[in-house]
Amino acid sequence: MRFAGIDIGSRTIELVVLKDNEIIEMKQTDSGFDPLAQARDLLGGVKHDHIMATGYGRHLFELSFEAPTVTEIKAYAVGARFLFPEVRTILDIGGQDSKAIAVNDMGRITKFEMNDRCAAGTGKFLEIMAQTLGYNLDQFGIEALKATKEMQISSMCTVFAESEVTSLMAKGEVRQDIALGLHRSVVKRAVGMLKRVSVKGPILFAGGVAQNPCMRHLLEEALDTHILVPENPQMVGALGAALLTSEKT
Amino acid sequence: MTRKGYLVKQKEMGRHLLGVFPAQYPKEILWAMNIVPAEIWDPPLEMTLANAHLQPTICSVVKLGLELILQGKCDILDGFLFPHTCDSIQNLASVINDYMKAEKPCYFFYHPKAPYDTASRDFYHNHLKELVSSLEKQFGPLDPDTLKQRIHQSQKVSALLTGLYDLRAEGELNITNEEFYRVVRHGEYLFPDDFIPELEVFLSRNKGQGMKGQAPVLLSGVLPNPPEILTLLDDLGVRVAHDDFLIGSRRLLVPANNLDDPFENLTESYFAMPPCSTKGSSIGERAEYLFRLVDATGAKGVIFNVVKFCEPEWFDIPNLKEELKKRGISTLSLDTDLNQGLSGQMVTRVEAFVEMIG
Repeated sequence: MRFAGIDIGSRTIELVVLKDNEIIEMKQTDSGFDPLAQARDLLGGVKHDHIMATGYGRHLFELSFEAPTVTEIKAYAVGARFLFPEVRTILDIGGQDSKAIAVNDMGRITKFEMNDRCAAGTGKFLEIMAQTLGYNLDQFGIEALKATKEMQISSMCTVFAESEVTSLMAKGEVRQDIALGLHRSVVKRAVGMLKRVSVKGPILFAGGVAQNPCMRHLLEEALDTHILVPENPQMVGALGAALLTSEKT
Repeated sequence: MTRKGYLVKQKEMGRHLLGVFPAQYPKEILWAMNIVPAEIWDPPLEMTLANAHLQPTICSVVKLGLELILQGKCDILDGFLFPHTCDSIQNLASVINDYMKAEKPCYFFYHPKAPYDTASRDFYHNHLKELVSSLEKQFGPLDPDTLKQRIHQSQKVSALLTGLYDLRAEGELNITNEEFYRVVRHGEYLFPDDFIPELEVFLSRNKGQGMKGQAPVLLSGVLPNPPEILTLLDDLGVRVAHDDFLIGSRRLLVPANNLDDPFENLTESYFAMPPCSTKGSSIGERAEYLFRLVDATGAKGVIFNVVKFCEPEWFDIPNLKEELKKRGISTLSLDTDLNQGLSGQMVTRVEAFVEMIG
């Protein structure tokens, strides 16, 4: 039997299909303005017997596909444990939210925290700041690592931070230095959230932002420990949903 | 009948109406003086005017209360009562009475904060009498026998509400969480002559097998707003087994023994009520109260549903969470704006909490 998990996030949609507990297919697309239509397209031609949805669009999917749902919190916990059974803390920074999840040695969630309602400390924040500095998202972390000094960014509100960045550029500050300060501000928030769930190792970093090398570097520096990052960190939620639907069947 | 329709009818019947800000006040005295206290917690208004008078970090209970006045929706009232609940409500009293020079009389009620001693009781007793003296100038003399009768009614209301809470705790109330609080909150404006029969009918009609399914939870905070939190819990099949809401169990009157002196009676009841952040109760007392509720109901977790910028509540929450954690009780805190609904992120947090404790 083929078990699929679909993670309908605010920025992207991921799909994972399992067969005999092995990943046989992974796909990703943008959520766009009509995530349901995008999800339908993503599923086109993908064979599966059961599917479970997670992510902010899960209830939309549930209504149209009569599929069971699970929160991203649980899906990430299950997906992370499948990839790294020893993991005790999971940090997920996605498009518009971020979360820290603590699990016990049985993989059961013992505590979780999510970011505040605004986009501060999320992938969206980094995306807007990258645009402001004239980088594409793939370059952003790489360029930030080239900084020779670090600019302090005091505003965490995306709108105010953008105007702070504009002011720094107007003063002639180097883009890479500003970029490093911006990454640091997101890491500080993430570390605060991790501390609130009593961070314990090993720690896994998931979600699209985990692909950013500067974020990984600064997190390891701040926590003074090695951080586990899966090969496809953005797929962990969809993987968790696929695993959960296979457990239920 | 709507709240507004009810208040208009009360006025037509010759009763006086007092707009009462949260939270602790001797409603029995008002009833005895033929005054209907119309509590002002979360009027369903769009915030347009109040922001000009109050800083952004003031809670929406206070802002919406001011908005209600500024939008001219209090014309029917005969005055306002401001209990000494928190700094923000004290400041609101100043804004309305001193700066805006309200056309309607404003009354103030100071209740002592914990820790209590004999002087606290004397203070409370004296302030009850001072409140009566000031109200008498506008509404006429208070009849002590009527006050005794109203205290008796208040005890009856509390007994009926306690009955409702007990049945719900045992899972023997066949209603949704939303229906439960809709009825409880009618007590924020119904005169006891009307509230008592409503509660009696509600109790007799709804005794029965309660909601089964997910693990029961406790709710704590000021009030169950946004109401979507209740509908969400209903949809998830989660029974609220008890609450530590300021509009809920924290204001259930404990019957006092001494009925001869009604002021003594009210004083004794006030000090016997459950602990509350607005009364300065200690973390230890508040945690013990929550432990008792958890033990009595088998609740698997506590959700702190707290109005954003509510200082008395938020100051206590980190310590309360720590105490609950020591007992292995899971907690979730939601920082809510009144009447603003639940964001998708909050829905996820509640759902994940239910998954976690289930």
